[in-house]
Amino acid sequence: MSLNIKDLPDEHLFTPGHTACPGCAAPIVVRNLMKVFGKDTIVYAPANCLLVFGGTYPYIAWKVPYLHEAFENTGACISGVKRAVKKLGKDSLVVGIAGDGGTYDIGIQALSGAAERNEDVIYVCYDNEAYMNTGIQRSGSTPFGAATTTTPVGKKIPGKTQNKKNMAEIMRAHEIPYMATMSIAYPKDFLRKAEKARDTRGFRYLHVFSPCPTGWRHDPALSIEMGRRAVESGMWTLYEAEYGRITDIYKPKRKIPVKEYIRDQGRFRHFTEEMVAKLQEYADHKWKQMYGSLPEEKPE
Amino acid sequence: MAAQTYALAAVMEDNYAVSFPFFGAERRGAPVMAFTRVDKDVIRIKTQIYEPDYVVVLDETLLETVDVLKGLKEDGMVVINTARRPDEVQLSREVNCATVDATSISLELLGRPITNTSMLGALARATGEVSMESIERAIMEKFGGKLGTEAGEKNARAARKAYQDLQVGMCRGGKDFVPRKEWLPTVQEMPLGGSIGALETEAGLVGIGSFVRNKTGDWRTFIPHVDHDKCIGCRMCWFYCPEGCITMEDQKAVIDFDYCKGCGICAQECPVDAISMERERR
Repeated sequence: MSLNIKDLPDEHLFTPGHTACPGCAAPIVVRNLMKVFGKDTIVYAPANCLLVFGGTYPYIAWKVPYLHEAFENTGACISGVKRAVKKLGKDSLVVGIAGDGGTYDIGIQALSGAAERNEDVIYVCYDNEAYMNTGIQRSGSTPFGAATTTTPVGKKIPGKTQNKKNMAEIMRAHEIPYMATMSIAYPKDFLRKAEKARDTRGFRYLHVFSPCPTGWRHDPALSIEMGRRAVESGMWTLYEAEYGRITDIYKPKRKIPVKEYIRDQGRFRHFTEEMVAKLQEYADHKWKQMYGSLPEEKPE
Repeated sequence: MAAQTYALAAVMEDNYAVSFPFFGAERRGAPVMAFTRVDKDVIRIKTQIYEPDYVVVLDETLLETVDVLKGLKEDGMVVINTARRPDEVQLSREVNCATVDATSISLELLGRPITNTSMLGALARATGEVSMESIERAIMEKFGGKLGTEAGEKNARAARKAYQDLQVGMCRGGKDFVPRKEWLPTVQEMPLGGSIGALETEAGLVGIGSFVRNKTGDWRTFIPHVDHDKCIGCRMCWFYCPEGCITMEDQKAVIDFDYCKGCGICAQECPVDAISMERERR
């Protein structure tokens, strides 16, 4: 039986008092993941928003052992912590929680190494599609056309000119015991995957889509809705894979145009019809790539 | 950005000006500082400002926790975003004080509780050192250039309204501020590697689980209200609250306002619309 929202414990292992922006999805991700992972967990965070809003020394919002090191070595650090724990004869869960910058760009070699060695750890990437902590700089995860401070909208170049890197597929290609993409807009799916990651041995990679009201410039109340629209428009796909083989794909009940997704986000405000069409093409391609192998559903 | 805009307006009137933020992590809604120095001569001093002529307070909840008059010159002035009149405000001492309800102005004209441009208008009137026309031009250049002409004009209108609505007077004094004790261990007392468990110190709990002392409720502009007749106890808000400040009592959602930042996710996601957001009057 998979977990339900009502099965989660009341106690927070990531407490209130943290200083995330109002409407930030990252604390929702982290708090609920920790409820699934439980008390016997050691958390590592590299440089990211979570590191900053999760506490200012000596005050921290964590109720589990927590440490941080440099930006690029999440994979290496959690490997070392897990081995030290093993040497002590314990079996604590070791989790590294990095942002998209620390995963897509800066942390990818340590991550790839740890995955290849099949270390017994969980790596969580919460993906808010730019370096939000330092003030919204573009990352490998930023989608086409999005305005950031390093891809500003000018007369000649309107926002980022490249597409989002497909990090989840890079991790699937490592053929690790378990990888999954998640979104908090789908709580049941989210909890099931978190539970599965907890109960699997070997390297596990969880990639959570995490809307950022400050960086994406949308109403803080719409954070969850943005996660939902991302999946429904094809800009984000929920699936999981074991040893490189896809075992489950969640296909949304309806498909919405990309326009619906970008409508309420300030980072896409400058979009012309041409740019919308280009982003739509990308989403259609993704949609076909991910859901094309599924049996065709009869139109209602 | 407002501090830069004021500096720009001053430069437009043939002054020299320097502006910079307090260095540290910035986050929306969290207390931050920015400084602007204006002079007729070249400015060579590069430090933060410790004895200002004017202090602008964008969020009146800070008045409860911070002595905003610290370092302010005797004949200086504090400009506060509040719905109260100057003589209704109590601070640590009696000084020149000007107030304007910038939050209402911003909500009315911009649709968002972002008050920095409104406060620029208020500051221009309070100092009398920069004209409102220069402020409007500077806003158009800074905000209009970045967010589009329409947004620039809206912000300029908000500044003009605050300029007109500003009330000037004196605040009351006599408020005591007890600075919060901090944990300052010596090198010998410092644990190896700086790693600490839950530790009781003279400053209260430090280490794991100690961030609960940081009450984030004063970031809020809108406050959620739960209709317990409608609440079905589905725990969606409990799951989705970024602060984790919703608890379930008798299968009904109860919100801890010490921490609620008023983001509105609970109201948006409630499947039976049992939660509504209202403007908070403090």
